[in-house]
Amino acid sequence: MPFTEILALCMIGAFFVLLIAGIPVAVCLGVTGFVFGYFGFGPMLFTLMPARIFGVVTNYTLLALPLFIFMGIMLEKSRMAEDLLEVIGLAMGGLRGGMALAIILVGVLMGAASGVVGATVVTVGLIALGPIINRGYDAGVASGVICASGTLGQIIPPSLVLILLADIMGESVGTLFAAALIPGLMLAGLFVTYVLLLGVMRPAAVPAIPSEERANYSRRDLAGKLVKVVLPPLVLIFLVLGSIIGGVAAPTEAASMGAFGSIVLAALAGRLSYTVLRDTVRAAFVTSAMVFLILIFAQPFGLAFRGLGGERLVHDAFGAVPGGFEGQLLFLMLLLFVLGFFLEWIEISYIALPLFLPVFLASGADMAWIAILVAMNLQTSFLTPPFGWALFFLKGVAPPSVTTAQIYRGVVPFIGLQGIALALVFLFPGLALWLPATIGW
Amino acid sequence: MIPLVTRIADGASATVRIIGHVAAWSGLALVLLVAFNVIARYFFGFGTVALQELEWHVMAVSALFGMSYGLNQGGEVRVDVLYSAFPPRVRAMIDLAAHFALCAVALVIAYLCIAYVEASYSIDEGSPDPGGLGYRYVLKAALPAAFALLALQALAMVLHGALRLVGALPLPETDRS
Amino acid sequence: QTSFTWKMTNAYGPGSPFYVEGPGSPTDFCQKVEAMSGGRLRIQHFAAGELIPALEGFDAVRSGAVEMNAANAYFWAGRVPAAQYFTTVPFGLNFQGMNAWLYHGGGMALWDELYEPLGLKALPMGNTGVQMTGWFREPIQSTADFEGLKMRIPGLAGKVYAALGVDVKLLPGGEIFPALERGVIDAAEFVGPYQDRRLGLQNAAKYYYTTGWHEPSNVTELLMNKAAWDSLPDDLKAIVQTAAMACNLESHTWCEANNAAALRDLVENEGVIADVLPADVVAELKAVTDSVLTEAAATDPALGKVHEAFMAFKAEHGAWAAVSEKPLYSL
Ligand code: NA
Ligand code: NA
Repeated sequence: MPFTEILALCMIGAFFVLLIAGIPVAVCLGVTGFVFGYFGFGPMLFTLMPARIFGVVTNYTLLALPLFIFMGIMLEKSRMAEDLLEVIGLAMGGLRGGMALAIILVGVLMGAASGVVGATVVTVGLIALGPIINRGYDAGVASGVICASGTLGQIIPPSLVLILLADIMGESVGTLFAAALIPGLMLAGLFVTYVLLLGVMRPAAVPAIPSEERANYSRRDLAGKLVKVVLPPLVLIFLVLGSIIGGVAAPTEAASMGAFGSIVLAALAGRLSYTVLRDTVRAAFVTSAMVFLILIFAQPFGLAFRGLGGERLVHDAFGAVPGGFEGQLLFLMLLLFVLGFFLEWIEISYIALPLFLPVFLASGADMAWIAILVAMNLQTSFLTPPFGWALFFLKGVAPPSVTTAQIYRGVVPFIGLQGIALALVFLFPGLALWLPATIGW
Repeated sequence: MIPLVTRIADGASATVRIIGHVAAWSGLALVLLVAFNVIARYFFGFGTVALQELEWHVMAVSALFGMSYGLNQGGEVRVDVLYSAFPPRVRAMIDLAAHFALCAVALVIAYLCIAYVEASYSIDEGSPDPGGLGYRYVLKAALPAAFALLALQALAMVLHGALRLVGALPLPETDRS
Repeated sequence: QTSFTWKMTNAYGPGSPFYVEGPGSPTDFCQKVEAMSGGRLRIQHFAAGELIPALEGFDAVRSGAVEMNAANAYFWAGRVPAAQYFTTVPFGLNFQGMNAWLYHGGGMALWDELYEPLGLKALPMGNTGVQMTGWFREPIQSTADFEGLKMRIPGLAGKVYAALGVDVKLLPGGEIFPALERGVIDAAEFVGPYQDRRLGLQNAAKYYYTTGWHEPSNVTELLMNKAAWDSLPDDLKAIVQTAAMACNLESHTWCEANNAAALRDLVENEGVIADVLPADVVAELKAVTDSVLTEAAATDPALGKVHEAFMAFKAEHGAWAAVSEKPLYSL
């Protein structure tokens, strides 16, 4: 094994050690990237660093991130989000897990409006995590629901992952969007089933609002409150989705309809003051920055992994796999899952997929089906500890009382559910292929 | 010595905070700008390449200057599985090392960015799109400036951390400094 | 004998046929060079995003961090405005004419003159041939239909359309399909039948217009760091030049063959209506193009010089083509 590849392995090891020691994520990425990269290839390749960072901060598709975060914080600061989940909980009556179900629904709707993971996790985390923990939800379950629902946007079209996969796999973007819809909704359905089951098996983890409290509200009161509280966020989601479906805005720009709408709604509700606006602007600035900080500092790490020939490591491992289409596909799934522990999804796609493409093309299997399997697997990588984007983003906005360990524990069942969904799509390719064939995409 | 270090640390931190308070409004500008572009195009058929490019120009500046302000406001993300169990003194030492490393990395990046901006300036880089925004090197100059500011914030955190370790400031109970 | 290990970045993403993979593509170029040189010049290829983002190759090559980059020179319009002429010019030259200009009409000398002060050296390494006007949700019957039309169209052609009342929208490649499908934009330009079908644009708009007035051909640029280029011994230089020339031919013939099949498939199986822009519309576009190009040429001396030379060659070559090929096509 060449010296640089050993360095690449050491870099991954050092990264984990620093991460577990409690060094901030951005610092772990930056320091290991620079130190190991320097020993591996000297200073020359680092002159590419500014280009990579400039590429991140000017990446048009990331525009949805600050816009959705602004919307979420405006809802929070103008206290429009405050009662939202409680009212939903009340409306769900004695149904346990009602508020978690609401979060899954919001995840699906926001997922249909955006393809950027951080946006949904951060927005829903801001609005919902504190309130439902206060309502007695288990912090792990609450975190798991938010992270998992927040990553649904990767599989529910439109989605950055699908756009990139279309490029790599040689499929049309439209085909993949259509192919992903049913598996995405099925995954959401599995989450719902799990929450309902939790309500039966572990009622204390997903409590319903106590009946005495529910008795305080008549149906009329509740209906009135429902309209007053639930309507504004629904209007915002309608604005975002409606402007995409109605052809008013491209997917990325559509987020601005939600953000702008949140300002208008706050003003209409008489809750927009200079103080609220200033606090919103500052909090949104900090929250967006937290996401960008990690994305930016992932650049030295990614560049070093590349420069050290990290993809050769993957290539060599690939060579050791027994032949045959199914063996290769299984290995790819395993590889994506493992790489997800320490690499970002774009890097994973670029490193792993080109290796397998010739095998898949030769097999005659439908590439759209394979792309969906890959997309679902990549989605899981957002959730796998210790390095999962969704986990970091949620941690960034979680109340201080929520620990990383709780978040890690909370996502495990959802990783399992994603495994089940993956297996279903593997066993029944029609789940992915029926819709595109039916609508002719 | 200690009063001087305190003054430097507080001054650095205050500088970052004030710049951040101003830069934060770029988020509102972004919302209004993108919404304006969408609404003006759909309802009035109005749109310019320059205003579309301005969208990601604003995002870039916002993201870059947000880094230092985010840290200033305690927006660090870390895995606290072991960290939260460490005694305050150990945590303070980990933070000191992390922020020192951050300061160094930020300075290295700021330095690397200077040549990148120079390359752009030397050819008077503008937009490749007709009607786009010119002076691309001004936007690129935000890179070294923002990383220098990040280094300043990290320095403030290093100094505050050192003051805590020598007992001039109380050790924090939680990691939210 | 010294060996070299170089890096090549690419402005296009992994897997893109023609731009990254396949006969005559940049990865094919790297393989050809390695084979011809017996491994003395090895070029590691990095698609967009692997080492650097798509449009950062110019600076990366200039700084010497990588030795080569594959792209289109018109991506550098913001850095070196005159570079646009070495990709394509609206109502300019087709594949034959462009190569005649570059190789034997003084084009290469001008390109060298333009890049030398920047420490760069370029070679043509591919060509898509004529491109399609693009996809429209509604038919175009007169220039009046351009008024208020929202279109994704980059570069000089965008400026021409804008002069005719088109609302130019900038969109990244991945958002073209959803935006066109939902009607956020009414029209979009991408490449040609093979590449466009891959993006699924036939599911978003049905009117597919031709006369590639905006891109009569489209040169893939092999950009090299000049110092690195100068450091190569003569035999390796000859290998690089020959491989680039081979890819120039092979990529174009690949496009011709695949576009023919793709267009037939689009029309026969996907319900696409392929049509030629009305003659008066083309005439109007041409008139506006002339003034846009002349205006641009006046703003930048280097651009003006290349413009003059290009137009002089085009006039001469056009006169010959009118005698040689035009009668043949009208048979
Ligand atoms: Na989505
Ligand atoms: Na992961």
